[in-house]
Amino acid sequence: MIPLQRPPEVPPPLQRAALWRAASLGLWALVLLCSSIDGRLDLLLRAVFHPLVALAGLLLLLVALVQLRLAFGAGRRERGDRRQARTLLLTTAIALLVLLLPPAPSFADLAGQRPRDETAESELSFVLPPAQRSLTDWVRLLRCQPDPKLFAGDPVRISGFVLPMEGEPPQLARLLVRCCLADASPVGLPVAWPAGQAPFAADRWLAIDGVMGLKPAPGGGERLEVVPSRIRPIPRPARPLEP
Amino acid sequence: MSLTRLATAWALLQGLLIEALPFLLIGVLISAGARWFAPGGRWLRRLPSHPLMGPLTGAALGFALPACECGNVPVARRMLSGGAPLGAGLGFLFAAPVLNPIVIASTWAAFPDQPWLLLARPLGAVVVAVGLALLLGLVGEPALLQADLLAERRLHQPLAAVGLLERSSGLVGAPAPSALGAAADTAPPRPPLAELMRHASQEFLQLALLLVMGCVIAALVQSFVPRSWLLAVGGAPTLSILALMLLALVVSVCSSVDAFLALSFAAQVTPGALLAFLLLGPVIDLKLVSLLGLLFRPRGLVLTTAGAALMVLLIGQWVNLWRQ
Repeated sequence: MIPLQRPPEVPPPLQRAALWRAASLGLWALVLLCSSIDGRLDLLLRAVFHPLVALAGLLLLLVALVQLRLAFGAGRRERGDRRQARTLLLTTAIALLVLLLPPAPSFADLAGQRPRDETAESELSFVLPPAQRSLTDWVRLLRCQPDPKLFAGDPVRISGFVLPMEGEPPQLARLLVRCCLADASPVGLPVAWPAGQAPFAADRWLAIDGVMGLKPAPGGGERLEVVPSRIRPIPRPARPLEP
Repeated sequence: MSLTRLATAWALLQGLLIEALPFLLIGVLISAGARWFAPGGRWLRRLPSHPLMGPLTGAALGFALPACECGNVPVARRMLSGGAPLGAGLGFLFAAPVLNPIVIASTWAAFPDQPWLLLARPLGAVVVAVGLALLLGLVGEPALLQADLLAERRLHQPLAAVGLLERSSGLVGAPAPSALGAAADTAPPRPPLAELMRHASQEFLQLALLLVMGCVIAALVQSFVPRSWLLAVGGAPTLSILALMLLALVVSVCSSVDAFLALSFAAQVTPGALLAFLLLGPVIDLKLVSLLGLLFRPRGLVLTTAGAALMVLLIGQWVNLWRQ
């Protein structure tokens, strides 16, 4: 006679698999919903994806609530197996970790690892007054219209983070993101930093008012750089990534 | 390994993960919807099993699923476990991430001035999918598919297609659950809603765990391998293709947005390399490896990676000859 195989013992907290599933799904729903609310998404994802994340969070919350109801329904003491238990424990722990440890990336560190954005824009707003152009607008404009003399003397009001450069002074930079932080690529403008002043630390966010000035380029010819009349340290903007 | 770099890697991980989770959820919900609307999935077994028509039909099904490769895995698993011909399931798995309305639209939005790419990307994806389906078909299901997927699949295949001893349950072996034990030709009853929810929830969490593992690897490699190393060889025909293939493996962004990423370095690389990036990423990348591990044994994973890489390299070379 073949002895009946008993199902492997499961740790007591995992004897109610539906309850743990509800907890894990609920935590993942919280990760998505809280990220949508507390501005974390602005640091991680392009804005066009934000509604999708919030919707997925709501759907997950709904599924978690249904699981919770099942967990307390009559005769629903479902026992999970060890593999299920491992998945449930790990996903719960990871969701907690993501929830409790918000992202704090160093933009300068990330930008230092990436090649510059070389996108050629098909549409550019040339009518935008110079003082209203963002740092990204300036970079794209200079790429399309490489004659620097056209813009010398134009007023500049931009903001960005300090990006250390190899072999030359730091630039003021922004990160462009097409999907998420993983595909971020930097754009930057050279700045004529005031002589005698202590250099700003990498990642420091600054707002600069000034004018565009001409300077000999390292490879020959001339290039534009921002000649600041006023430099203000600012907190990181709520939406630091640009499309 | 500086703390700053680790903090950046943690943020990259969260970015990749939070971007992929909604697509994963869409895939799991579609898979659950298919179980509800077509219990037993008889239509799956009616898909053609012809070596060429099977993968082509599977690839064409991609138009019905507007999700990227993360959402594809649960749906492809559902197809294979429901008894769909191997070729059709694999054709869907490999081609659907490109052959879907969202990806084609985003490719067009990113490269409106390069109409050849709009044609070459879907065509290339179909060629790679058919090639991979034929290649993996040679291995045989028992050596290719994971044991639990194979066991589920056997239950849904007609007895004529599977030897009695190959079935680990049903007529031989352990007694099958009543819903699945019915003969393959009669439709089993619709699963209760509670069971459907339980299955979908567990599947989502299992896939999410694998996704996290993939994202950890992708985030670490991205943080500690400077991307300039990969793009340094942009102008050389063969090297640029290889470099962009490696980049596609590492970056691990979804197929619905990778065209926009490709746009940022399109000017620096050869056209063949650009197409190679857009073709390889949807089939295999670091984030996907662990998800695909739910379907394939290690041999299947290695063959998928090697076969896809070789085919994409050849297509890229051909495009470079054609476009230059």
